[in-house]
Amino acid sequence: MNQDVAIEVQGISKKYCRSIKRSMLYGMMDIGRNICRLSSYSGTLRSKEFWAVDNISFEIKRGESFGLIGPNGSGKTTLLQMINGIFWPDKGKIAVRGKISALIAVGAGFHPMLTGRENIYVNGAILGMGKKEIDRKFEAIIDFADIGDFLDSPVKHYSSGMYVRLGFAVAVHCEPNILLVDEVLAVGDKDFQMKCYQRMNQIRKQGTTIILVTHNEYTIREYTTRCLYLSDGKERFVGSSEEGIGLYIKDILEQRSQRTKIKDPGKSYNRNKAELLPVKFLDRNGQEIHFLESGQELNIQLDCIFHERLNNPIFGVNFYNNLGFMYCVNSDYENQNFNGNIRGKVRINIHIPHFYLPASNYLCSTVIADESPENLIDWHNMAYKFVVGRAQNARGSIKLPTQWEIKMIEEEI
Amino acid sequence: MSNSIVTYKPDNFIEKGYVSIFREIFLELKENRWLTFQLFQRDFFAGYKQSFFGICWTLVTPLMSVGTFIVLNKSGVFSVGEIGMPYPLYAIIGIAFWNLFSSGLASGSDALVRAGNMLTKINFSKKSLVLASFGSSIVSFLIQLILALALFAYYKILPAPGILFLPIVIVPILLLSLGLSFIFALLNSIMRDIGKALPMVLTFLMFLTPVLYGKPKAGILLHITQYNPLYYFVSEARSLVLTGTMTTTEIKGFFFSWLGALGIFIVGLVLFHLTEKRIAERI
Repeated sequence: MNQDVAIEVQGISKKYCRSIKRSMLYGMMDIGRNICRLSSYSGTLRSKEFWAVDNISFEIKRGESFGLIGPNGSGKTTLLQMINGIFWPDKGKIAVRGKISALIAVGAGFHPMLTGRENIYVNGAILGMGKKEIDRKFEAIIDFADIGDFLDSPVKHYSSGMYVRLGFAVAVHCEPNILLVDEVLAVGDKDFQMKCYQRMNQIRKQGTTIILVTHNEYTIREYTTRCLYLSDGKERFVGSSEEGIGLYIKDILEQRSQRTKIKDPGKSYNRNKAELLPVKFLDRNGQEIHFLESGQELNIQLDCIFHERLNNPIFGVNFYNNLGFMYCVNSDYENQNFNGNIRGKVRINIHIPHFYLPASNYLCSTVIADESPENLIDWHNMAYKFVVGRAQNARGSIKLPTQWEIKMIEEEI
Repeated sequence: MSNSIVTYKPDNFIEKGYVSIFREIFLELKENRWLTFQLFQRDFFAGYKQSFFGICWTLVTPLMSVGTFIVLNKSGVFSVGEIGMPYPLYAIIGIAFWNLFSSGLASGSDALVRAGNMLTKINFSKKSLVLASFGSSIVSFLIQLILALALFAYYKILPAPGILFLPIVIVPILLLSLGLSFIFALLNSIMRDIGKALPMVLTFLMFLTPVLYGKPKAGILLHITQYNPLYYFVSEARSLVLTGTMTTTEIKGFFFSWLGALGIFIVGLVLFHLTEKRIAERI
């Protein structure tokens, strides 16, 4: 293994069993074979088994911060457990350099009856610290946890946030070479989360390798350089965090928009006059899409059949988010006039060079009216789902185009 | 230290020789002494935290059980045979030895299951869990011993000089109980049946072993007793303390039981070491 590599994972897999009775049987068989010093042939699946982690390989450098993303049940925790050495992989090989400290669950090993103070010692011991080491770091730990008078009350009276504070405080003071953090910080308040990330940055600069499991895209972007995106136990992507999280969000949005069916277009108004066909959203290249990164180009394609000649039809496309926010594109407001006795099938293209709606899920309505908005002809009320994702390299939910300038007003010498 | 590389792969230990396994076990136990003590403290003190009488409960349990047998004995329901000494003294020493074995085994076999999700979240020495669970039984053994000494004083009897051999008698009890605990803890974490059956089996064994009655003079019980290592550990250990005598056949039996206990301890420890990683994935 290279000197600067902290963790090397080569094609590891882990299988789990869906049936508990079979799991017992397999457990006994594996133990039996191992006792006789025989291989348990772990590389093959038996009945009712499946690969929870399937053929994953990656390498993490010393002092690197590595993200692990993927939907629930994609094998992230299992992977962490194997890296931590809690159980063996069923295939492949893991090599780890140095002392590992893991935060896979909040305060695992805390005894609810014991006080915070007592639990610091017990937990520290479980995480591999000696008495002197804990004595020495005790002040720093309680300082970091910042739980005040609760230090001497039983842990069972703690809020879940305080639990995490104490648990995290002990784990980071282990001075590990590798720190595994499994989504535990989400429980703490913003202040504490910031403190944890600062601390992680600090120990990373001192050469500690960090693996971070989180669902928060911001965290992945800000605090990790590379990431592994797991899906159904398989590697979907490994590489830069920016790209990884982008792909992850794209996948989620795609699934989400596919899951929602188009509702039955609302009741008819004057469909004998004209009729709207389902709206289509197209990207820059004319591909149909159901989601978009905020600020990208959007083309709306609205087809309509005119059964009668109308003098001045008005078209509208409205977007609503779940807070009731509405964004409308209406032809009358845009001073578009379509007079000229149209009849037959018509296609309206609305070109929006930068679709700056904030990242959210939107329901979309299409509408056609005659001369004034009250004279509804056809209305597909909230019949379409459209998702806007966050722009790349954006911190908030919208990224507006900006121009920056820096100017000296008065120079101080 | 930061440069040591650990590798994990399927059936990790298979290539290792037995010598290195023993070395590993020894180093692991040595390194985790403090952890073991902390785990013991945690369970011991946490158990009495939310109770008025707190630690006094450790005294109550043995007092109650001896009291029960005194009452039964006095009322003639329960005949103990010839023992040649005050029954309370006889009973409490017997119970002390027996409990050292049985309560240790019961809590040791349950240690992994009790630890629950800690096993799947933190990588630490699981042997420490089993060892730590013996702490409480050792403490209550010592308390019962003090009770026994108080009874010696009350009856104005001097314990036999054999009491000085106490450590030699306690060690095999602990070894046997620990060895079995390692094996049962492992099995129990996969099949909970072990944990369900064990208390019943222990009660049965207690009545099969002359803990609260004298050595049977004849019949099938005598045969069983002769080959029952627990008889040597409990009953013979007691005669050593009380009268200071052991016949040569009994010394032989005691010696073989000693060896057996040592064997079971080593086998249990090695089996546990070889397969403890299998626990976390099935518990």
